[in-house]
Amino acid sequence: MSANIMVVVVLLPIVFGVLIPLIPFKTRRHMTWYVEGVVLLTSVLVWGLLISQPDGSFVLFRFTGNLSVSFRLDGLGTVFAGIVSSLWPLATLYSFEYMKHEGHEKFFFMFYVITYGVTLGIALAEDILTMYFFYEMLSLVTLPLIMHTLTREAILASRTYLYYSLGGAAFAFIGMIFILTFGTTSVFVPGGVIDTTALGDRQGLMLLIYVLCFCGFSVKAAMFPFSSWLPKAGVAPTPVTALLHAVAVVKAGAFTVIRVTYYSFGTELLRGTWAQTVVLGLTIFTIVYGCSRALKETHLKRRLAWSTVSNLSYILFGAALMTPLGLVGALSHMVFHAVMKICSFFCAGAVIYKTGRNYIHELNGFGRKMPKVFTIFTISGMALMGVPGLCGFVSKWNLAKAAAASENPLGYLGVAALLVSALLTAIYMMTISLRAFFPGRDFDYDMISDVEDPNWMMILPLVIFVIAMFVFGLHSEPVITALESIAAAMN
Amino acid sequence: MQFVQNFPFMTIILSLFSGPLSSILDGKKAKRVNLAVMSLITVMSCAVLVFVINSGSAYVYTMGHFPAPWGNEIRVGVLEAFMAVFFCVIMLLCVIGGVYEREQELEDTKQNLYYVMVNLLLSSLLALIYTNDLFTAYVFVEINTISACGLIMIRQNGRTLEAATRYMIMSLMGSGLLLLGICFLYDLTGHLLMSNIREQVQLLHQAGEYNIPLLVSLALISVGLAIKSALFPFHAWLPDAYGYSTLSSAAILSSLVSKGYIFLLVKIFFRVIGFGIVRDSKVVNVLFVFGVAGMIMGSVNAIRENNIRRMIAYSSVAQIGYIYMGFGLGTTAGVIASLYHVLSHAATKSLLFVAASGITDASGDHTEFLELTGAGYRNKLAGVAFTVGSLSMVGVPMFSGFISKLLFAQAGMESMHKMLPTLIALAISTILNAVYFMKTVIRIYTPVPAKVLQKKEYRCISMKEQPCKSTALVFFIILNMLLGLSSEPVIGLLRSGLAMFA
Amino acid sequence: MNGWILLPVFLPVIAGIFLLLMLSCERRRLHQAAGTVLVISALLALLAAWTGEKSVTLFYLMKDIPVYFHIDGISRIFVTFTSIVWVCVGIYAFVYMEHEGAEKRFFGFYLMVYGVLVALEFSGNLVTMYFFYELMTLTSAPMVLHNGSREAIMAALKYLFYSLCGAYMGLFGIYFLYQNCDTLTFTPGGTLNPALAQDHRTILLIAVFAMLVGFGAKAGMLPLHAWLPAAHPVAPSPASAVFSGIVVKAGVLAAIRTVYYVVGPDFIRGTWVQTAWMVLALVTVFMGSMMAYREPVFKKRLAYSTVSQISYILFGLSLLTPMGMTGALLHTVFHAFIKSALFLTAGVFIFECGKARVSELTGIGKRMPKTIWCYTFASLALIGIPPACGFVSKWYLAEGALHADVGIFGWLGPVVLLVSALLTAGYLLPVTMKGFFPGKGNGENSGMKKASVEISGVQNGITDDRDTGKKEPSLMMLIPLGILASLTIILGVLPNPLIHYISQLVSGLM
Repeated sequence: MSANIMVVVVLLPIVFGVLIPLIPFKTRRHMTWYVEGVVLLTSVLVWGLLISQPDGSFVLFRFTGNLSVSFRLDGLGTVFAGIVSSLWPLATLYSFEYMKHEGHEKFFFMFYVITYGVTLGIALAEDILTMYFFYEMLSLVTLPLIMHTLTREAILASRTYLYYSLGGAAFAFIGMIFILTFGTTSVFVPGGVIDTTALGDRQGLMLLIYVLCFCGFSVKAAMFPFSSWLPKAGVAPTPVTALLHAVAVVKAGAFTVIRVTYYSFGTELLRGTWAQTVVLGLTIFTIVYGCSRALKETHLKRRLAWSTVSNLSYILFGAALMTPLGLVGALSHMVFHAVMKICSFFCAGAVIYKTGRNYIHELNGFGRKMPKVFTIFTISGMALMGVPGLCGFVSKWNLAKAAAASENPLGYLGVAALLVSALLTAIYMMTISLRAFFPGRDFDYDMISDVEDPNWMMILPLVIFVIAMFVFGLHSEPVITALESIAAAMN
Repeated sequence: MQFVQNFPFMTIILSLFSGPLSSILDGKKAKRVNLAVMSLITVMSCAVLVFVINSGSAYVYTMGHFPAPWGNEIRVGVLEAFMAVFFCVIMLLCVIGGVYEREQELEDTKQNLYYVMVNLLLSSLLALIYTNDLFTAYVFVEINTISACGLIMIRQNGRTLEAATRYMIMSLMGSGLLLLGICFLYDLTGHLLMSNIREQVQLLHQAGEYNIPLLVSLALISVGLAIKSALFPFHAWLPDAYGYSTLSSAAILSSLVSKGYIFLLVKIFFRVIGFGIVRDSKVVNVLFVFGVAGMIMGSVNAIRENNIRRMIAYSSVAQIGYIYMGFGLGTTAGVIASLYHVLSHAATKSLLFVAASGITDASGDHTEFLELTGAGYRNKLAGVAFTVGSLSMVGVPMFSGFISKLLFAQAGMESMHKMLPTLIALAISTILNAVYFMKTVIRIYTPVPAKVLQKKEYRCISMKEQPCKSTALVFFIILNMLLGLSSEPVIGLLRSGLAMFA
Repeated sequence: MNGWILLPVFLPVIAGIFLLLMLSCERRRLHQAAGTVLVISALLALLAAWTGEKSVTLFYLMKDIPVYFHIDGISRIFVTFTSIVWVCVGIYAFVYMEHEGAEKRFFGFYLMVYGVLVALEFSGNLVTMYFFYELMTLTSAPMVLHNGSREAIMAALKYLFYSLCGAYMGLFGIYFLYQNCDTLTFTPGGTLNPALAQDHRTILLIAVFAMLVGFGAKAGMLPLHAWLPAAHPVAPSPASAVFSGIVVKAGVLAAIRTVYYVVGPDFIRGTWVQTAWMVLALVTVFMGSMMAYREPVFKKRLAYSTVSQISYILFGLSLLTPMGMTGALLHTVFHAFIKSALFLTAGVFIFECGKARVSELTGIGKRMPKTIWCYTFASLALIGIPPACGFVSKWYLAEGALHADVGIFGWLGPVVLLVSALLTAGYLLPVTMKGFFPGKGNGENSGMKKASVEISGVQNGITDDRDTGKKEPSLMMLIPLGILASLTIILGVLPNPLIHYISQLVSGLM
């Protein structure tokens, strides 16, 4: 496949998404077919791209001078595009069922589909300007999705989200300008593009700007102290929280951090500096902080959101180790966490959809009434904890391996933080499962007699995710080998 | 000498004399004449622009039969021609966009007076752009001030009178300082034509004589024009003037009047004194500091503001701050960024004013925030337009604001000491902009409960209901996106134009 | 092909899952099925263990990390006593679980835990061991919360979190060992890469210490011991028996594997890690005994006793000498039998008379003399009175301490062991004595009985008239109890084959 397809996969969902409110669909079913068709077509094209790995770049248009919006597929982009394109069709399938009770479906699906294209734009961006461009777009097109319910809470959440995102982008902008000025090129090159002769003795300045840029991009990845938007954004419909706030948007944040760290600033210049210490410290703190907040939270989706905060910092931690091994760890967690967290969110969504209950203490005894959902939820919880045999263990292993090999005392501390977080994860996930399966001796099941498992449209994605968790957990070698080959390019 | 070369002079004269013509016509006819004249001027300016681009160099047009150094001259380069075209287009769109408000808010007997003012303003702007003579520039600065004053207080209520008075006082102070500066220069060099002054200043500078008087005159001119263009902390007159005048006036004042002074300042920097001397004089550092302060303080004030028109007005203070920060960087790249921001801000701010009026129309003419809830649903085009303007102000890619932010940052990177302050100021200012603009955008898309909707005098406004405003908005959006998506030709023009200045 | 050695792993696990998924089942058939699977798996496990060293790689968890099983001397010992105890307790449970209900679930998990334990004992490298260690935690937790009461759920959570906390500390160590070892496959004497280990000495010592404390959580060592006394009283007695006898030994096994097979005893000998480990073990020994001495609830008393006794083993391991190791392994085996026997008696008391407190057991010997005799033998063994088996292991432990080059601990250790033995006598023997010689104040306790009925959660119509007359439990309960109790005596009288085997094993190790 030629490189031109890259433009198609980015623009196709955007254009067809914009058309959704304009097309007069006869029935809801027609619309769902249309949406699923667009999403699947895009995914198939993306998979074609990923398999054929075209080696060209495509310039969409030019901003100023040599700054252009252009696409190119490389290893890192393959990983992110792969995650996104695999999860989107499934999440769309799930949302058809879920969105029945939310209303305004046309607008919802419009932005949902557009977001797909924008996310792919981030994955396929060839240079930092393109990435920044789509990064900002992502903030904007996901805003209506958070606002969707239009309740007071949703409005406040979307406002917080927007402030954080645009604020983060403002600092990311600084980093971008720095790269444009002191980089030999604005294109992503493994190992970084900083021109050290042009930089001269302004090393300290570069580090400061790197830290600002890291913080700016990691706002989307909800790193402390920029994490509070994510739990608030949990008011959005579950398909949004699951796909965007556990995968697409937040992983885009992590992805951009990896891009600037490994492909723009370059780890050679950063490793062992105070900048690395600062970002490592922040990520380690977030790992524990997110978990502790999750523990305190009684709202199911918000608890999962805090868990996402912590888990994203795993990825950032891996990235901040600034070694090829760290990159492998970060990427593996990026892939595996996507599967685990979307699965647990979908379980939460199934509960909300079927029963309208949001709080954990309302879930007593659900295990018997919704056995499929809660079995799957338990498995995803175990995967998040890092039980061996499930995929979470593999990525934690890779992260810890990298940290232990990093020869950095903060790396060692990070290993400890990973494990503390694993323990806290166990507490906040397992208490839910225990409550659902063992409500206590005197529990009256008649109180929840109306509770039942959802239909196949919701269960099918869940089952696929569970299978994926086991497959990745037991046979992770192909994935890890692929990630290692990406990381090998760093040296 | 080709016929086209007469056009700059003709445009000035044309708009100057269509003013008196308007004064004897009634409102409707005056409007038609005015629009026709402005369109004609736009076309003529375009022709000039094409001519200058093709010829590849600036030309000087001597008025009357007195050659330099005694006569009066017009000088036309790419930059001047381009600015003229751009100002005409914006002016045209602003006037079209505000038709409805003018007819509502102004007394019938004063309709034609409005067009007098507009014509005078346009001619003074064109003269400021084209003139090669400092004293002519001063004269048109005054005409500009007076016509702007008229535009403010033509909508008669107590606040506009007060605002106009304040504007007048501040502006006259600025003019006074400018005049003093020009006097100094005349005293030092004995010339009033820009090119001649420049030669003398270069000589003086090389000789090392009269450094302090030179510096003083530079400072006086800078401060004078800074006051007139509402640089922080001389911005106190601005919110009232923009906030309470009629729509077209606010849009024109914010996007054009202050820009005329800024363009004059650029001209003085490059054509009168020489940018090298300006840079060495450290005046730029002062401008930088006030620019940065303006960026921050303007936004902070805007955040605290509860009235959408005044909020947009305060936002202008911040944007003027950007422009002066660009000058303050003391590099050509900085000046190009500032000039680009002049364009981008002109396109965006007028868009915002027009869109805001569309929003307030749909909310029973209330301008307070709470009353605007859900207005984006009631007036769809205005909502979209306001969103576009806001995003542009925040500096989201695809819109013009992003490009100017990019240019500012890149220019900032060239400077050793100002790099970090520039970048940080840009980032903070972006966040502040996001806070108040996005707050408004989310507010206008927050739905109102049906009960409340009936109770208030809210109404839905379709695109057809206000054809003029809608047209203006659509054009503004297109202009904005054009500047945002294909900025390269524009930047090329600015660059070559600036090169012709020297 | 050695794949068949995994049959004793998969058979019970699959059977267990099958039981859990089955909708309903007649009680008799359930017992038949579970019993058959249990016995067959146990036989297979023993067969696999005692037919030479075998290894099998199941699959690769990660590129350089296989799930690898290898049967060696240590696995053999552990599998043997695990299987014996598991079968005995299983048979006992067929009767006992009648009054607890939800038998299907109990036996499902019971079988699964057995399979996982066998896998754990067969594990041939650290990651495989960790894998099954964690699985064991997860599968055994439902056995604790069996009765579904609030305390049971809280206890299960406590168990889960202490165990996971321990496991994660272990994992912390594993990460660093992986970095600094040539391989994580168990190799006698350790696989630490000397050059790397020298560079990262500090962090490695911290890692090893974390592993010891972490795995010590399962073994009830300070500071992560608190789950034991919480979990035992609420769990059904058979569950307590296997928890105390076998599951806690997983912690011991993990410590052995870490110290002797991966890190190598030489690396930590003489370091602060050894000292700290010894201190922790000794403090636990003493503290456990003290707590047991003061504890009125019988099963809780036994739980504290386990805390103390397992730390005997850990103390023996921490000496890092062949003698200490021998003592530790002997005590591991003996304690498995003793403690399960003790818990089974406690179960009998609860099952037959609903008595959970020590003070209520006055005069019980008259009613069930056989049970009490079994109890007495086991107690003697635990105290360490010859000829019962505890004496042998404690002798080795004390000898090991005296001969080890560990400074002050050389004599402090034996002293603590001795004091603890006295305390053990103090907390175990009164039951026998009061049981046979109730004294005159027998009737005074009747007021307490009702309260105790509620506490123990048994409500199947026990009335006071049961207090009189002989009432031995059924044979299905008595025989397993008898086997375990007699094993404690037989091994005490004829310890030589075992000692011989173990010392050979140990000498191969060091």
